Amino acid sequence: MLAHSIFFYFFSIIAIFSSLMVITSRNTVNSVFFLILDFISVGCLFIMVGAEFLGMIILIVYVGAVAVLFLFVVMMLNVAEQKQSWFIGKKSTHIPTGLIVSVLILLELLVVVGGWKYKDNLMSSSTLELSNISNTHQLGLVMYTDYILYFQLAGIILLLSMIGAILLTFRQRKGVKKQSYFNQISRDPASSIELKEVESNKGVKIDD
Amino acid sequence: MEYTVIFLPLIGAIIGYLGGSLIKYFSEIVTSLLVSISAVLSILLFWNGIQNNTYGNYKIFEWISSGNFIANWSINIDPLSSIMLVVVTFVSALVHIYSIGYMSHDPHKPRFMSYLSLFTFSMLVLVVSDNFLQLFFGWEGVGLCSYLLIGFWYKKESANNAAIKAFIVNRVGDFGLAIGIFLIFFYFGTINFKEVFDLAPQFLEKNIVFLGFESSLITLICLFLFIGAMGKSAQFLLHTWLPDAMEGPTPVSALIHAATMVTAGVFLVVRCSPLFEYSQTALNLVTIVGMITAIFAASVALVQNDIKKIVAYSTCSQLGYMFFAAGVGAYHVAMFHLFTHAFFKALLFLGSGSIIHAFKDEQDIRNMGGVRKKLPYTYIFMLIGTLALTGFPFLSGFYSKDAIIEFAYLRNSTLGNYAATIGIFTAFLTSIYSWRLIFKTFHGPYNNKKVLINETHESPIIMLAPLLFLSIGAIFAGYYFKETFIGHHSNDFWQASIFFLNEIKHDPIPSWFLLLTPILVTIAIPISFYYFVTNIKILEDFKKTNLPLYNFLLNKWFIDELYEQIFIKPAKKMGSFFWKKCDQGIIDRFGPDGISKLIKKISNKASLFQTGFIYDYAFAMLIGLSILLTYLILN
Amino acid sequence: MIEIGLGHYLSLGAIIFFLGTIGIFLNRKNVIVILMSIELILLAVNINLISFSIFSGDIVGQIFTMLILTVAAAEAAIGLAIIVIYYRNKGSIRVEDIHGMKG
Repeated sequence: MLAHSIFFYFFSIIAIFSSLMVITSRNTVNSVFFLILDFISVGCLFIMVGAEFLGMIILIVYVGAVAVLFLFVVMMLNVAEQKQSWFIGKKSTHIPTGLIVSVLILLELLVVVGGWKYKDNLMSSSTLELSNISNTHQLGLVMYTDYILYFQLAGIILLLSMIGAILLTFRQRKGVKKQSYFNQISRDPASSIELKEVESNKGVKIDD
Repeated sequence: MEYTVIFLPLIGAIIGYLGGSLIKYFSEIVTSLLVSISAVLSILLFWNGIQNNTYGNYKIFEWISSGNFIANWSINIDPLSSIMLVVVTFVSALVHIYSIGYMSHDPHKPRFMSYLSLFTFSMLVLVVSDNFLQLFFGWEGVGLCSYLLIGFWYKKESANNAAIKAFIVNRVGDFGLAIGIFLIFFYFGTINFKEVFDLAPQFLEKNIVFLGFESSLITLICLFLFIGAMGKSAQFLLHTWLPDAMEGPTPVSALIHAATMVTAGVFLVVRCSPLFEYSQTALNLVTIVGMITAIFAASVALVQNDIKKIVAYSTCSQLGYMFFAAGVGAYHVAMFHLFTHAFFKALLFLGSGSIIHAFKDEQDIRNMGGVRKKLPYTYIFMLIGTLALTGFPFLSGFYSKDAIIEFAYLRNSTLGNYAATIGIFTAFLTSIYSWRLIFKTFHGPYNNKKVLINETHESPIIMLAPLLFLSIGAIFAGYYFKETFIGHHSNDFWQASIFFLNEIKHDPIPSWFLLLTPILVTIAIPISFYYFVTNIKILEDFKKTNLPLYNFLLNKWFIDELYEQIFIKPAKKMGSFFWKKCDQGIIDRFGPDGISKLIKKISNKASLFQTGFIYDYAFAMLIGLSILLTYLILN
Repeated sequence: MIEIGLGHYLSLGAIIFFLGTIGIFLNRKNVIVILMSIELILLAVNINLISFSIFSGDIVGQIFTMLILTVAAAEAAIGLAIIVIYYRNKGSIRVEDIHGMKG
């Protein structure tokens, strides 16, 4: 019990702290790193709760793919380092109002959470159900039978995004030597070999 | 037959206008033909009426029938209307024929002829009405046609202004007439002539409070009807439009402002004689106004220089005569004078048109003179017309005008005697200025700078023939119809169409009185000859020494300027105030202009929301989300 | 406080969500931070879903979480591709320089 709450508080504080740093750090690369930290801590949280498959998936997909993608782009583009912090900006007139409004939203969300009437058979964390089959097994049982369509749909979405990303950013680079195997294969001896008479003490011009 | 008489001119107007471009002389011939047929038929009707007493009321169709209020379109033929029919159609037919010649150079002949026929139709509708509503319709119709015809040459700005002036001054009179009709309907409950006149004796003692003043009902009604008559017949105070109406072509002046439209007022007063006879106040007012008009117009005509204006003021003066004849109770004499006046006034106008045509559109008599040998026929016709107008013995004007003065004298009241004196003095003035016109135009040296005397030529036969017919009428109409209209047994003719409260007196009149007017009129001929032909210098000196008097008369007693100060300037100021402050300042500012400016301002401000920065858009989304959330939570 | 219930997990999700949203419009740096804030929001939603799924014993929540994961990854890829192209065309991805939609 105690371990549960200690771990919970530990991971959640790290998550909150790192998300705060994501939006406030001056260096964009630092922001990406903090994002990675955020993902890791939330993944650990998921593992702790009992959805270990999803926790792993978050690590693999989010950290391994999305965050690395972010890093690639950040390094590719010339992201200038911000000199001043984000509190002092040219148009900082609506930062205070924005903050106030957002805090309002947060408080409302917390009010909602606090006054929620839970379902009767909702369990507390102390009585988390431990079943015989692992989380992965559970997911597999449901996903490939009842929700197969959504699974396929997700696959198509990924395909689309892949095509889209390539289509958007692909460009032909001029002046880059590439191998064209087709040309290589389709060469015939008649156009590629030439017999030359070589006289002694006289060379032969090759490159012309 | 009666229907044809009334509707032929209307058909002529429509066909004449529409078919104007078909054949060369199509519209002129069609309109003149139809109106001439109408004239012949109306003469037949008149003859029938005298011989066989065939009068009657022919209904066309029912216009209003609402409870007890019935008003029909009908043709009411009785002695009064049959005389008017003859006058109107006869003069109109002659004017149509005359205009074929006079307007031969004008490019808009079909429009002119159709307007003339339309006018004839409206006047006919007016005179054959048997209720006030149809009379008002005809009244407005002739006002409209007068506007259209005065402003016929619409490209001339002075003609446009004159037409509007005529229409507006007429409108003032029409307003009075309308109030009179309203009063009649309100108290009598009907507007048919017969019923109103039958009910009139019951309302003799009735007094009503109008605008805070208590007065007799009949007097008020007659007063308002007379205001309408004043407007239409150009009596003093509402006369300002008549001289300006000379901007129209001469045939228009002959038809409208000599014989027909301006006599509509007299017709109204005579037609309502059953009402007028019961109100001595109204009759006195009619007499006074008539007298003032007569002498005013005669005095102004003495110094005018435009030939048409002289004749116009002469018309005004003769109308004054007719009104004061009606005012002293001698309605039949007024009608008789109307009848003869139509002939010689139309003759004078058409004759002056002939003169203007000969002098190539010159209208100032100071630029004419000495052409009696070149224009012999015109000279003879003008002479006849002038002799008739002034009341030279044995021509028609003599009988009618002297009858008016006699009847005024016979009244034996102070007002009557006063009226008679003024009448005699005005006859003298009439004679002087009419002969002035003749002498300045036909005698004396030739004064025209632009046209050589050899170029002035007589008018074509198509213009002279109507003059011939009119002069026959001017000479003989008085003598032949004297007994019928105003003789001792005239009541056999008039029967019920004119109402006399007291018996008409036929007392003998002292001989000196009878001879006074003709002698004065005859002496005036050599006097005016002397002053205007032989020895002009005396008048020139007189003019120089009495310049204020001369200016007073020349500027028509400064009435136009007075009206300008009293009515026109304040009206303009009010109009401009309402336009600038109310219309533009309030309605436009809060209406279209204001709203469009407001929309522009708001949209300019609203476009500031689109800053182009994404975070601003996200911020807006956030605000919306928070509002939604708050609303859901609070609910 | 010791007893961790559903409410704690939900409030954690709320806080991360809140941080993600303010990250969108309060950053003055560049557009990539916006994309990272979007990832944070999606992460917060995932936390919500997982906690509900665990606490009510229904596995569907986790399946939906996987789908959201998929979509988040796809969207991050496309978003970054767009940023790369934008950078190629405009030369800058600073937030102040992106105001082509002004007016």
